[in-house]
Amino acid sequence: MRLEDEYRSLRHGAALSRMDHVGLVRVSGDDATEAVDAICSGDLWVRDGRMLQTLILGEPGQPVADVYVCPDDDACVLMFEGITTEELSACLAEYAQPELAIELEDLRPAYELISVNGPYAWEALSKWLTPDVIGLPYLSFYHFDRGTCFRAGKTGEYGYDLAVRSGYVERAWEELLALVGALGGGEASLETLDLCALENGFFSVRHASVEGLTPLELQLQWRVSARKRFPGAAAIEERRAKGMERRLTHFVAREGVESGDPIRDADGPVGQVTAAAFSPGIGGVAGMALLDLSVAHPGIDAFFVPGPNVERPIRTVSSPLLFNRSLLVDPHRRTYATRDETSDPPLWLGSLP
Amino acid sequence: MTTNLSDYVSSREAVLDRVRRMLRDTMKLRIEPEAIDPDVPLFGTGLGMDSVDAVELVVQLDAVFGLTLAGSPWVSAKLRTVNTIVDAILELGNET
Amino acid sequence: MSESPHITGWGIASALGVGRDRFCAALLRGESGITTVHRFDTSPFTTHVGAMVAGYESDDRDPSLLSHEFGMLALRDSLAHARLELEALQSMRVTLTLGASLFGDHTTERLAHDLAKELGISGPAITISTACTSSTQAIGFGADLIGEGFADVVLAGGIDVLTPALFAGFHALGVLSERPCTPFGRQMGTTLGEGAGFVVIERGGLRDAVTRARLRGYGLSGDAYHETSPEPRGRGVAAAIRGALDDAGASAAEIGYLNAHGTGTVANDTAEWCAVQSVFGSDLGGSLALSSSKGHLGHAQSAAGVLEVITTLECMGAGLAPTTAGFEEARPGGPPRPVGSKQPKPLVYELALSSNSAFGGSNCALVFGKAKPATVSDDERRRVFVSGATALCAGVSCIEELASICAAESPLSKAELQIDLALELPRVDLRGIDRASELLTTVVSRALADAGAQLRGETRARTGLIAGVLRASPDSLYRFRTSLERRGFAKPDTTAFAQVLPSAAQGACAKALNIRGPQSTVTIGEGSGLMAAVMSAWMLARRRDSDRIVAAAVDVRSEQSAEGALVDAACALVLCTEPTAVEVAGIGLAGPGQLDEAITEAKRRSGLSERVELLVELPNPFGGMPATSSAFALAHAIGSLRRGKSKTALVATTGTTASVAMILTSNEVTHDD
Repeated sequence: MRLEDEYRSLRHGAALSRMDHVGLVRVSGDDATEAVDAICSGDLWVRDGRMLQTLILGEPGQPVADVYVCPDDDACVLMFEGITTEELSACLAEYAQPELAIELEDLRPAYELISVNGPYAWEALSKWLTPDVIGLPYLSFYHFDRGTCFRAGKTGEYGYDLAVRSGYVERAWEELLALVGALGGGEASLETLDLCALENGFFSVRHASVEGLTPLELQLQWRVSARKRFPGAAAIEERRAKGMERRLTHFVAREGVESGDPIRDADGPVGQVTAAAFSPGIGGVAGMALLDLSVAHPGIDAFFVPGPNVERPIRTVSSPLLFNRSLLVDPHRRTYATRDETSDPPLWLGSLP
Repeated sequence: MTTNLSDYVSSREAVLDRVRRMLRDTMKLRIEPEAIDPDVPLFGTGLGMDSVDAVELVVQLDAVFGLTLAGSPWVSAKLRTVNTIVDAILELGNET
Repeated sequence: MSESPHITGWGIASALGVGRDRFCAALLRGESGITTVHRFDTSPFTTHVGAMVAGYESDDRDPSLLSHEFGMLALRDSLAHARLELEALQSMRVTLTLGASLFGDHTTERLAHDLAKELGISGPAITISTACTSSTQAIGFGADLIGEGFADVVLAGGIDVLTPALFAGFHALGVLSERPCTPFGRQMGTTLGEGAGFVVIERGGLRDAVTRARLRGYGLSGDAYHETSPEPRGRGVAAAIRGALDDAGASAAEIGYLNAHGTGTVANDTAEWCAVQSVFGSDLGGSLALSSSKGHLGHAQSAAGVLEVITTLECMGAGLAPTTAGFEEARPGGPPRPVGSKQPKPLVYELALSSNSAFGGSNCALVFGKAKPATVSDDERRRVFVSGATALCAGVSCIEELASICAAESPLSKAELQIDLALELPRVDLRGIDRASELLTTVVSRALADAGAQLRGETRARTGLIAGVLRASPDSLYRFRTSLERRGFAKPDTTAFAQVLPSAAQGACAKALNIRGPQSTVTIGEGSGLMAAVMSAWMLARRRDSDRIVAAAVDVRSEQSAEGALVDAACALVLCTEPTAVEVAGIGLAGPGQLDEAITEAKRRSGLSERVELLVELPNPFGGMPATSSAFALAHAIGSLRRGKSKTALVATTGTTASVAMILTSNEVTHDD
């Protein structure tokens, strides 16, 4: 499918995606929680059956992996992007105390991950699993006979990541494809998922050029503990003491703005574009930029990307960009078939510069 | 629209600071207000507020900023991040 | 084998009528007791319905007066049904177990105290304050009291009154439905109710009574999940239901009817349905009928359990399954076919199960059978030991320091108690924890550490917690009340509302430490700590749903309380079934002011023939801690035994509504069982 079609199905119905870029491991043993706590940047205030989004940082303080920590009885399931399972294992070996009793099990290839995202994704899941899946809160998971259902997602719509036993994954794919098809959807590529993540302000460790940046600049302090030790903690403290100089800010533009482009205002440079993509939802470019802290705020029209012939104005905005349709869909009241969107507010409440 | 950039930034930063303090106090977080990212999601992930916190937040926004959201159909869109709250407060100020 | 306790009568004061006759008539006609609220102004709220006790719709007298009146109506009604004259009752060994969680200036045991006094019964009165599972638990504990021989008759039930503050709290949480609630149906939300109910439970052969039903068993669990939301997959509810089935020696297939908690809220109904499916199969085995009584009676809070049990018992006896008033169309994620006819549906069944869940995550389920003889195979009684103990107040941070202060008879430090729980539990989210929860969690955590207990995997579900408290945490009470005064009834502080229950500390502690086994919050006023320990001991001895129970108590500093100045104090003791150096040799329970009877009882049960070293009395400095001081005495005794200073110890207290005694021995002492 073309990007526009995939995008429409994800934003308005439901879409099915392969998640081959995501790692899945189980850390078990008496000290599993302690070991995971040692390498993750955030406080692991998360209960059994829930999920917590955190990071693994490098010593200089830059994000190296984007991790969901999922306590599962006494073990810890980790769903992660940005590093390989071998690298994760090495990280545990380096930062968790050697005497900790843990075992690391790579859940791939025994399981494969596929994902359903969209305002009616829950409807597909309630038919594929059981209707009570609509009661599963955001950032929770549970095991079913053929795998595990994680309610997460990085698009701003209802999202369910399914770890399915390899023997069943092809059949699961066919069944789910048919179910999302009935919801006006189909397959969505990683590119579409990444676009949706960008629009909704989800950090992407695979795209962020994070050299020299810490969670302070990247607006990820919420994933960082104020009290514990972890790799990168010292660098963050140092940056805090020194004071951060730039901050990641979201913007929109009409066209012709790309990652790496410099940003200026009338007086001089103010920052640089770090991510940009055309968004069918807003009919323009959605992007992120590192701006000088003094002007790193939404609602500013004074900046532009200089060009040989023409300046491309940008408008800084708050994220998420969109009024996601999922906010309007209550699974207890609405179904795809009976939906009445006539009084729904528009997908995007803003305008392009 | 920004007519005067530095005026806008000052008023924005003032409101941002107050909203961060209010959130810090409501959520009983033991951190400095500056440690609350302006684009941090409020619910589910991010600050991890739940439905009980949401009720208190709406009350505080009304009490501290005069921002009445109860009953508004677009509440869920206005209370997504710290920045969206600041947007709503500044918008309120522009209307009065 | 032992006999299941007999249920010889029940009585009720409810929105469907005061007294069994009126209640049954209305129930059989399929009426609902939910009407417009007239008792107080509901204009600040977006809903205006509630289920008030019939005839009291506009009665706005003090809730403590109303609750007493409701209670007496239901008690007299139950005694009439049981054909038990008051005079006869007064000559029997009677215990009152009351589910009540009213918050106010009075401490929670007052209501039970006054009811017992008016009935003229001299036996113990135990109040269970676990919000919506209070009266369910009260009935379950009634079975224990009969089975243990502490009582010949137990009047078990609960009382609650619908007040503006309660309405405001639930309304602010967004869980009230605009129109009368439709459990499992299309409208989301619940409707509040009130009422009182009591069930008369007796041991067989006591007198010439008509047995109307049998109390076959009960199950208890905790979600350890959230202050107000249930664990979404119903894991805790399922554990309580399975526990009740095990206790009753029944299989899921034998249950013909299930009375669900079914509040009608989004969170409860889906979680509960998950639980029911996990125990009974996704199609309920094809034969289980299920309904919720809250469409008729509203959500009667502390009285919900007993009102729903009475609904079940009335219908079971009449060959009917109660219906779900207001149900029209099933909601997605809920049971597709609950009993939803206009009137109760004809159905004959031998066993019924009733389930409730509460704020703070406690769950309780009861199994009832018809009147015919029923026995349960007795598991061998287990011996009970003490594996951990800790004490906490200004100047005392462990039981050794407690001993020093007692020995030196020096006054307690007047300094405020400073603790930093975040240091002791670095990986636990303690945001928003109130003072009582903080103190209780500290001592329970330390006691478990003292016991060398690590809660992993299955041990979490097999570790319980019984807390003895007199009231909710004063800081939460203050915050909630102040928010009503300053912000009005439309905008109370909802976080504080969730914490104004006496059981909030137990719930917060269980959540922080992942304790998922049987849990409760009980009070007898002064002496509640020792009561918690005695309950823990009998539960471990006679039941099989836990291997370890932490008995704890907490008092929070307050300048003016009904008992005068209180200090911060908390104590926790870990009781278990694995042998340690200190054994619980015997326990005794008697009415208030009957200390000798309680002591005699404990001695008899301990089988100790020689004179037991007498009463551990704590010196004066340990005043101002009505719940905790008796637990301190126990901790002191444990320390003494551990250090080899004595071989036996007797700890006893005359509490406000009961007298309690416990005899400890060092494990080398042999005794006859």
